Order: sequence, then structure tokens, then C-alpha cells
Amino acid sequence: MSEKKEPGMAYNMPKLHKVMAILSFIFFVTTVWVFLDDYIRPWKAIQVESLQIKRRHLEQDIKAAQKEIDVKKLGELNISLGKGEEIVASRKKEIDKSEEELKAIRAKMKAQTIKNGIFNGDVSAMNFQYETAMAEHNQKEAALKLEELAKLKEGFSAGKDNLKALQVNEKIVLAKIADLNKEVVTTQKEIKDISTKLNLLELAKKQTDISPIFALRNMPFVDYLDPTIKIQQLVINNVTDDRYFRQVPKVDRCITCHTFIDQPGYEKEKQPFRTHPKLDLMVGMESKHPMKVTGCTSCHGGEGQRVNDFNSVAHMPDGEKQEKEWIKNYGWKEPHHVPSPMLKLSQTEAGCVKCHSDVQLLKGANVLNEGRMAIEKYGCYGCHKIGTWSENRRKPGPSLLKIAGKVDKEWFKSWVWEPRSFNKHSRMPAFFRQSNNSKPEFIRYNMAEVNAIAEYVYDKSKPYVPNEKFRPGNADNGKKIISQVGCLGCHGVEGLEEQSDKVKAYAGPWLTGLGSKVQPDWLVSWLKKPSHYQEDTIMPSMRLSDQEANDIATYLLSLRNKTFEALTFAKFDIKARDELLVDYNSTFDTHDAAVAKVAKLGDREKTLDLGKRSIGKYGCYSCHNLEGFDGYEGIGPNLTKEGSKPITQFGFGLQHQIPPQRDAWITAHLQRPSRWDEGIDKVFKDLNKMPNFYMSEAEAKKITVVLLGQVSDVIPLNGIKRMDSGEALYTEAMKVVGKYNCMGCHQIDGLRGDILRAYSDDINQGPPRLVNEGHRVQTNWMYHFFGNVEPIRPWLLIRMPSFNLSLEEKNKLVAGFQQGAKQGTFEEPEMEVTWQPGERDGAVKLWNSYNCVSCHSIGFTKDVPLAPNLHLASKRLRPSWIKLWLKNPQLILPGTVMPSFFGDDGKAPIDPSIFAGDAEKQINALTKYVIELGKK
Amino acid sequence: MLRELINKLSDPIISFPMMTFAFYLMLKHYKTVGTKKFAYWTIAILIPVIVWFLADPNFFSIIKTPDNIPIIILLVLVGFFTWFWLYKAALNDTRIEEGLCPIEATPEEREKVWVWPNLVYTELFAIIACTAFLIVWAIIFKAPLEESANPTWAPNPAKAPWYFLGLQEMLVYFDPWMAGVVLPGLIVAGLIAVPYIDTNPKGNGYFTFKERKMAISAFLFGWLVLWVYLIIVGVFLRGPNWTFYGPFEYWDFHKVVASFNINLSEIIWIKMLGTGLPKNLVVREIFGIILSLSYIIVIPPWAAKATKAGRKLIQDLGVTRYYIFMFLVLMMTSLPIKMILRWLFSLKYIVALPEWELNL
Repeated sequence: MSEKKEPGMAYNMPKLHKVMAILSFIFFVTTVWVFLDDYIRPWKAIQVESLQIKRRHLEQDIKAAQKEIDVKKLGELNISLGKGEEIVASRKKEIDKSEEELKAIRAKMKAQTIKNGIFNGDVSAMNFQYETAMAEHNQKEAALKLEELAKLKEGFSAGKDNLKALQVNEKIVLAKIADLNKEVVTTQKEIKDISTKLNLLELAKKQTDISPIFALRNMPFVDYLDPTIKIQQLVINNVTDDRYFRQVPKVDRCITCHTFIDQPGYEKEKQPFRTHPKLDLMVGMESKHPMKVTGCTSCHGGEGQRVNDFNSVAHMPDGEKQEKEWIKNYGWKEPHHVPSPMLKLSQTEAGCVKCHSDVQLLKGANVLNEGRMAIEKYGCYGCHKIGTWSENRRKPGPSLLKIAGKVDKEWFKSWVWEPRSFNKHSRMPAFFRQSNNSKPEFIRYNMAEVNAIAEYVYDKSKPYVPNEKFRPGNADNGKKIISQVGCLGCHGVEGLEEQSDKVKAYAGPWLTGLGSKVQPDWLVSWLKKPSHYQEDTIMPSMRLSDQEANDIATYLLSLRNKTFEALTFAKFDIKARDELLVDYNSTFDTHDAAVAKVAKLGDREKTLDLGKRSIGKYGCYSCHNLEGFDGYEGIGPNLTKEGSKPITQFGFGLQHQIPPQRDAWITAHLQRPSRWDEGIDKVFKDLNKMPNFYMSEAEAKKITVVLLGQVSDVIPLNGIKRMDSGEALYTEAMKVVGKYNCMGCHQIDGLRGDILRAYSDDINQGPPRLVNEGHRVQTNWMYHFFGNVEPIRPWLLIRMPSFNLSLEEKNKLVAGFQQGAKQGTFEEPEMEVTWQPGERDGAVKLWNSYNCVSCHSIGFTKDVPLAPNLHLASKRLRPSWIKLWLKNPQLILPGTVMPSFFGDDGKAPIDPSIFAGDAEKQINALTKYVIELGKK
Repeated sequence: MLRELINKLSDPIISFPMMTFAFYLMLKHYKTVGTKKFAYWTIAILIPVIVWFLADPNFFSIIKTPDNIPIIILLVLVGFFTWFWLYKAALNDTRIEEGLCPIEATPEEREKVWVWPNLVYTELFAIIACTAFLIVWAIIFKAPLEESANPTWAPNPAKAPWYFLGLQEMLVYFDPWMAGVVLPGLIVAGLIAVPYIDTNPKGNGYFTFKERKMAISAFLFGWLVLWVYLIIVGVFLRGPNWTFYGPFEYWDFHKVVASFNINLSEIIWIKMLGTGLPKNLVVREIFGIILSLSYIIVIPPWAAKATKAGRKLIQDLGVTRYYIFMFLVLMMTSLPIKMILRWLFSLKYIVALPEWELNL
């Protein structure tokens, strides 16, 4: 302040102006900056790039369209156009005159239209006045108005008439002009017809021009008016987002960057410009899930409204490689503050579940189906409820109600202790010797628990006496029968590893070490009639002869596990038992009171008490039928909404190597559930009780996909897949099919058919594939077939087993298969085959010329049959199906030995001399003939 | 090692007394603090210390959060203005001691200047500069985009806006009714009352400490120690579950701190007298009620009679002003008193009457 200042001034004015200038400049810069910051968005660059890509594609299309055009013809047309123009020019005077005429007519028409308009208004107004006068009973006034109204109406109708006359004149003149111009007009039209496609493409290309208009519309500040580069969105009314207290239609802006997701032709572009890889099923206009109805995040998850940048959407990379790539290309970061990030690519099928929850196996969702099969395999649903899908299923483990008649107690204990030491394929999980309960004091308690469980189970076990006696047979023959008769559809068998590994059967246990496990009499009895031991077993009778059953038993009994046999389980530690009981009792009592309470019990009482408590603790009853546990719910937590469980509610313990993601937790948990206890100080009763299934990472990942799909999202009824009554019946049937593992052998409507993998050499040697089975076979026949299996294809070694189906289950199967094929219960069977004159002779000729009996030999020749018995066909098959089959069998069962006699389209006649070569008549006649065979 | 030590020292149990003591030193030696030399030395020492602090990833991650940037600005500004005041006050006080008038009263400083452009023009500068600053700030530190608000799923830690974090910190020690309604209400009422209570004409238009020791000390204690310090604690040292975390500590979601607090009535009736709690509510809480009432009712008259400062104060202010002033000061000091009682005795409430929604 030492400077000299003017009086009344604290500052030097020029200096203040300088400060003002600097500040103004800074302010200007920040203002520009704020507009630019608002204007520059990552998605805009992507849209501009997509515009260029579109242009490139259009240019290619234009080139292709240009090639299509016939240049020669176009040249000719152009020449004739020139000639036509000359001719037309010579008539110039006439044309000019006609056009003048037209102009005059049109002027009159316009004048008349105006007049008519005025009349129209006047009539309506006068009408109102007249009616008002009438309503007011003002007769005089009304009469006056009516008179005026009549005049006006007259004028109006005269005017309309006049207009019509003018219109007629106009048409006449127009036709005249057209006639004068006809040489030019017709040629022009022909030229246009040839080049329409090209013109349209060029028009489309023009729209991708970066023109001044384009620049103006997308200019900063002006771009709020009508920009072409803008956020694109889909509003999905049928799928909602939970905004707490309110369900809001989903808004997906993904298409702002994924510009061509629903348009074919961009499959080879880089992301985000690529076409959806499954356009026929998803997103495509013709697909079941059109983009405008289903949207994007309905299936994929993630934050569909956000377009800030790559990260805000909660994209999730699938695997480390992609993660690295994304970090490099997009600066990807793990999404925080997002309740449900996008599903990783390999887990996308989890998105199917929320709408298709009840269906057993979903066509097209292969990972999901495999995950559900893995859940069936390991019996997860025994302990955990997993939506409606897991309801009303059988218990995954065998019944223990008569266990004392099957295995001895020592075997039982060692098995429970460590199932894998007996059978390395065991699906019974390991509860003990895990990383969280292997301390010596825990092992001591666990052994006491196993002893007590065995005592309880054997105490409650009902007596069982086998109804067959074992007579040693031929083990090699037994092994052969096992491999042929169809056991492998449900069981893997030791000694048949190659086939078993192909089939990957899981409905029944892997058969090994049976000689060390069961009594010979029990085994034969079980093989002959499984329901004798367990009434509700799904194991069917294979209608084995005594010799066959004994041969199989001989082979299975020859499989022994010597090391397991040598095991003896630890003696019952009475002290450990009492300590555990005290522990249970001290939940509500003091320690001393609990000790006193336990001391009052008798020795046997204590053992059984601990046995029951331990079964309850580990949830054995969830998988096995056990007395004393009726009405108990499965032990595991309900997983119906597992996919929406907040990540903070997953306990990761000290497993820091596992990324803090829902799917990572589930996969890790499935592979080794005890890991969360590792390094954590827990008391015995608090240990994690989920057992170890020793499942592979691949299986755990598939199950993870299923569980990720179990979300709590509320989908409006319009959004979810609602089954019609037919589909519901089919689903019910598929539940029965799932229970009895029918698809272990039969491929049903393209799904599974596990055992067919062992028949890759000749698929016709395997069990028949069932396609629209409800259409193929008659309702009556199907019902009776389940109760009394009769051989149809005697050359097959594999047998249709006799299942112990209840009446309800048979009904479900019959009705479900019918509905699956959209087939009514009865198709009018032709009771009496009525022939047209000469038709039967033709049929016989056809029958002979194609030598049907060479394969369908049963009942005709002594040859080895290669095709079903046609004498049974009228009882079994529906006539309409026979016709369909004759038309083109390859269409129904690809690879069948039945030839396609009538060509690929079923229209080529076999023999042109019969029925004048009418293929349809030939097929009808053959069908009638086959039906007649059964009537004889 | 040093980091762990600083973590430990930052715990309010230690850092609060330290802050109070530093505050006392600052005022006691204000003439030393209020020099340019002191300021330069402080900056020279602080810069490497701050750099060292920032080098720690945990500390850096707290500092860089967009929400926390205003507090850093606040700290710098509070530090500077406090020093600036001390500096000016020290100069004036020295002059006054020498028998001179304050600098602001010198003839050249008393000269009058035009409102335009001297005031209005410079105010415009301030407006433009602030706007530009706010724009740049808003562009660089964008508001974070989080999940849609879920009333059943609060973020953890759930923090108030930074300027209310002092109040939120008070919730650790007081019932919400006290910390959220009564005490903030008294702060507002007290600030409104300041011009009516403070009748000391000294220091009008010029910086001084010596002539207004009482008023300045009381206000600055409330502002710096009880408000700004608590904001710092609330922003930087309170993590998930409102647990204390040192400046270099990772905010582990699972950190558990043992704390089991008991009421005064329980301490007296059960621990000391060895009997059960009386059924009658008033009898049960009688000790707390007596203590609280005597704190408010007995101390002011006693101080007015028995202490030298009290006698002088009641003489200067008059009876009504004296009692209002004393009430406000006592309410203010109740915060540190309650904090200390909590740390020393795990005291929950002095008067615990949840039946009447009255907890002190």
C-alpha cells in the first residue's frame, strides 16, 4: 500500500482492471470447459463410429445391388426412354392445351370446395337454430327456420353435385394427359422397378452423411432441439426394476452403444457394434424375445439406464484374460454400489430362470440345464429349497427304513465316516475329516456322533428278509448283461468304466465294492424286485430271469473293497457322548443342571438321544427316509433368492484369495464348504455343517449359474413365461420323467438321452428316441405299456424296464406327452378299414414292391427283424403319425434305418404306375394296409 | 511403528486432551504463535509431514474421497485465519502495551474511500473467482453415481454432511434428543445471544486478544476444539459402524471395538451399594438428577461469590447476563465432561430415564 493513490481510493484502478481482465479470462475458460465437459460423452464417439460402420456396410450393399442390375437392359430402357421423349415432345401443343384445361378445372374445384364448406357450416348452424325453436315450441320461428334450412340444403347438395361433375372432368383430362405421355411414363416405371433397391440404399447412405445439417443438429448448445446423436432407450413395461416401494418399468439404454445388436450383418464387427450372437432366439424381431419386449438387462443384469461410461453399467469380465483386456481398453474397475452387476458371459443363462422358473429342462439353455442336472445329481434340493423347481421331489438318498437288512452296522459307520474310502464316485458327501473339524477333540466328538447315529438308525430299522436265494452264476455273463440291458442308464459300474464314463449316469450309485457291502440274497432279491425292499424306490425291475439276476449278482459281488472291509470303526466313546448331550442340554440350562439331566437318562436312552440329535444336526433325514423325522424341513437354508442376496451377507472368512463376488463365493463354497471356518476360532457346535461333495470346479460353476438365476426380482405377470394348460401338463410329465430318470436312456424331444452316447456307432441299437411321443402312440396303448411292457423291437438288447409307477404318475405321463405333442387324447381310429375301389390292390403292390417285410419281418418271415412288429401298429400307433412317418422318417428321427421312400418332401411317388403317381394316395393306402394288418 | 503410534494417538481419548492442551498453549503463547517466523516454520515442518501422510495408501484413500475435499479446504482456511488473527492481535496488543493505538486506529487507516470501486468492484472479483473455482471443482470431482436409494439398506458408515459431522460425533456421547435437538438449539440460541451478553466495547474495529481474553477463549474453544476437531474426527477417523480408525488404518468392515457402557444409577446402586435398582424411577436416578441440577444451579452462584473471576464477571455483566452466560458455558463444557466420563468410567448416562425419553 505504499504506492501513491488518488484520494478516496484504496486501490490503484488500472491494477484493478488488470485483475478483472485475468479473472474474466479464467471465468470464460471455465465456462467453455463446463459446456465441453457436458457435451463430450463417451457414447457420442461410439455413435459416430457406428455411423461410419453403417456407411461402410451400405457402401458394400450398394456395390452388391449395382452388380445385380442388368446393365444391358438398363441401357436399352434408357434408349427407349429417349425415343419416347422425342415422341412426346412432338405432341407438346396438345399436352399444353390439356394442362391448361386441367388447371382451369382444378381452379373451379377449389372454388366449389370453399362454397361447399360455407354451405356445410350454414346448414349445421341453421339446423341447430331450427331444433332449438322446435324444442322451445316456437312453431312460428321453427317454420321460418325450416324454410331457410331447406334452401341451404338445396344449395349444399347442388354444390356437391357440381364438385362431382368437376372431378369426373378432371379424371378425363388426366387420362388424356397420361395417354399423351405414355411412352415416357411406362419406360420410367420399368427403370424404377429395376433400381428401387439401389435407390433405397443410396437414400439410406445419404442419411449417414456428415452434412452441415448434421453438424448443426448435434452442435453444442443447439443439440437439445433435435439431435441425431442421442441416447437411445428401450422401456420394458413387462419387466420392472425394484426402486423400493415402487416397481418401475425397466429402462435399458444399452442400444446407445450396442447400436446393431438386433440387426443381422454385423456379426464380424468389434464390440460394441456386434450383432447378438443368438439372434434367432434373442433380441431379433422374429425371435421369442424381441428387443422391444424383453430388453437387455432383463436377462444380462447390470445397470441398463447408465450410459456415463463403460464402468457405470457394471459390465463384468468373464475370466482373467478379458479382465486384463478391459482394464487396458476401457479402464475397467470392479463395480461398487451395484446390487446386481451384469452376469458374466458364461453365466448369462442364469437370466432365464426368473421368467422360466418352473420348467425342468429349458431348451437352448445348456449351461443352466447342466447345472440343474448337477443339482439333481448331488441332491442339493434335499436340504435346500430352490424355488418351485425343487418342490415335490423324491429324497435323493436311499431309504434307511430297513437298512439293517441290507448292510451291517460296522460298514454303515465306516461309510458315514468317509464315503469316498469305499466308493470314490460316491455322491454321499463327506461330513467328517474336513478342514474345519479335523482337530483331535472334534474328531473324538464326530466319532461319537457317528456311533450314535448308527445305533439310532439300526434301532429304528425294520426287519427285512430277502425273497430270493443267491445261486452263484457266471460273472462274465453278468457283466455282459449289465452292459447290454440298460443298467448303465442310471449306474456307472466298475469294470465298465469306458461305457460308464461316456454315459455319465447319475440317477443311481456307481456300483463298486458290492461284495464288501451287501448280502448275496439281498442283492438278488433287489435285482429281481426292487420294490420288495423299498416300496418307493425308483429302481425299476428289468424283468431279469433267475439266471440273469444271479449272473449279475455274481459279477457285482465279485467287486470287493478289501481295505474298506478291514476297517473297524472306533469304539463308542461314552464320555464324549455324555459331553455332547450336556452341550445340547445346556442351551437353556446351566451346565450343572444339564449334567444332572443327562445323568438321569439310561445308557441306551442317551445313545439314541444323541443319535437322533446328530441326525437332526447334520440333516441326514433331508436325503434319506428315516423314522422319527416325518414333516422335518430340509436342513439347508432356502436358496430361492440366493442370486439377490447382498454381497455383504456372504461370509468370506479369511479366504482372501476369493474375489468378493457372489458367484465366486458360491463356486468356492460348493467345492469346499468347510473353507470359511479355516483359521477361525469356533466351538464344536458352531462349525459349518455343509458337507463336502468333492465336486469339480466345472460342476460347481454350472450349479452357480442356476443359483445366480434365483433372484428376488418381481416380474409382472405379463413379463414371465406363463405356461398354458398343455405346457403345464407337459412340465408335470417331465417331473415324473426326471424322477425315474427316463432321459438316462430315452432322448425326449431332443434333450438328454445319456446312454445314447454309448451307442455312437449305431444309434438305432440304443433305446428309441422319443419325438412327439404323445402323437406317435395311442393313449390307451401308452397307459398299458407302462404297466405291462411288451417288446416292440426284439432285436434290441437294451430293455425298457418295468417301473413301479403310481396311477397318478402314469396319468401325468400320458397326459403330458400328449400335450407336449399338442395331441388330443383320441384320434378317430379307423375301426373298419374301408377301401376305395382298387385301393387295396395298389397298397399290396406298394407293400410288395418295397419289400416292407424284409425289415418288418415279424409275423411274415423267419428273418431276423430289424424294424418293429407291424402287427402291433394299429393298436400302438396313431394313423396320422404313420402317414407323417412314411412321408419322411428322417425328419422325425435323423439316422433311422427306415428309408425315405417318398423323397425329402414326401411328394415323390414310389411307383408312378400306382394311383397315377399320387404320393399322398400311396401313403394313405399303405397306412390303411398297416392298420388292417393289426385287425386280422 | 511411527504410523501405529500416530494411529493410537489419534484416538479421541488421547487426541482430545492433546488438542485441548494445544489450544491452551496457543492462547498462552499467542505472541509467539502470531509471528510470520512461526508461520514459516510451521509450513516448513508441515509440508514434509503431509507428504509423508499422503504416501500412506489408507490415508490417501480417505483424503481423496470427493466428499472429504471441503474439509481439507476448511482445515487450511481455519488454520490460516486463526493464525492471521493471532498475528494481528499480537501486533496490536504489543502496540497497546507500548501505549500506542491499534494499527486500525492510525490516521492513514482511518481514511475513508469510495464504495465504488473499492468495495463493489472487489466484491465482483470475489464472485467471479468463487464461481470459477466452484465450476472447476464440480467438473473435476463429480458427484458419485451409486445404487438407487434403498430405505432398508443404509450405507455403512452412514455419515451426515461434513458440516454436521461434529453433531454426529456428539451422538456417541449423548442421547439423540440431547445431541440432535437440545445442544444444537443452544448453539444457535447462544450465538444469537452473543451480542447481548458481550457488553465489552473493547476490540471494536481492531484485532486484540488481551482486551477480550474471556470472550475469545470461550468462543474459540467451542469453535476449534468442540466443533472443528469433532468434524475432523467424524470425517477422517470414523469408519464403518462409526468405529474409530487411525489415519493410517484400513477401514476393515469387520473391525470390532469392545464397549459396554453403564448408567450412573447402575454404578452407584449395584456396583457401589450392592443393592438392586429401586423401582421408583426418580429414586433410581436421584444421584444423577442431583448432580445435573447442581451442575447448572449451584455452580453459577457459587462461582459468583467464591471465585475472583466470577466476582469480576458478575460485576461487569450484571446478574441476568451473568447467569445466561454461565448457563451457556456450562452447557458447552458438558460435552467434554461427558466425553471424559465416558472414557474414564464407561458411563452411559448420568440420568437414564428412557421411560420419560430423558437421558442426560
